[in-house]
Amino acid sequence: MSTVIVLTPIIIANWPAITAIVGAAVGTLGFSTAQGIEAERSQASGMTREEIEIDNSEILENAGGRGETIVVEREGLKAVFSRDGRGALRVCMEGKGHSKAELRKIGQELVDRVTQQYVYHRVMTEMKQRNMHVVSEEVAEDRTVKIRVRNW
Amino acid sequence: MAREELEIEISPSGKVTARTIGIKGPRCLELAEFLARIVGREESRQLTSEYYEAAEQVQEHVDVKQRW
Repeated sequence: MSTVIVLTPIIIANWPAITAIVGAAVGTLGFSTAQGIEAERSQASGMTREEIEIDNSEILENAGGRGETIVVEREGLKAVFSRDGRGALRVCMEGKGHSKAELRKIGQELVDRVTQQYVYHRVMTEMKQRNMHVVSEEVAEDRTVKIRVRNW
Repeated sequence: MAREELEIEISPSGKVTARTIGIKGPRCLELAEFLARIVGREESRQLTSEYYEAAEQVQEHVDVKQRW
């Protein structure tokens, strides 16, 4: 017998933490961080764009946090993560030859991976601080992460 | 200390389902609140019979010996 709790995640982090989480998460979908010229190139003709707001998020404003973006790419598809006016995380998808619906689907997958990565990192950090030991950890076929922790 | 375990599942979209094992009484609520604080908003909580069992009673006997 047990108690079962279901929680919806809320991403609360500063920009450097978000950068690290996005970097780690998007790689699992074949995206990589774009730098320099690639990151600058935008608004090319024929590009379809779709924006996804992540309502359950709050990017803490701190030094260097304002105006920052993270650009990731995969085969001509670009995803730009940024902090919107309300302080929430936003992803702008861009790609040639993709419909808005396709971009939204891929963007949502990216958001899901980032959210899962954030939660995993947060849970593991807090459990360690409370001296809870991870006794098993596995990733199911559907990518659900299962962790078992103990207080000794 | 009694063995306390937590089974935590993080779905592909980041939703968390946590199950407490061997945790009785109000300590369950304490843990639920702790998880909510680190993860986000609590959607549901199901209290089963284990919750209603009394938390482990700790008894301490102190022997006081007279020294005279």
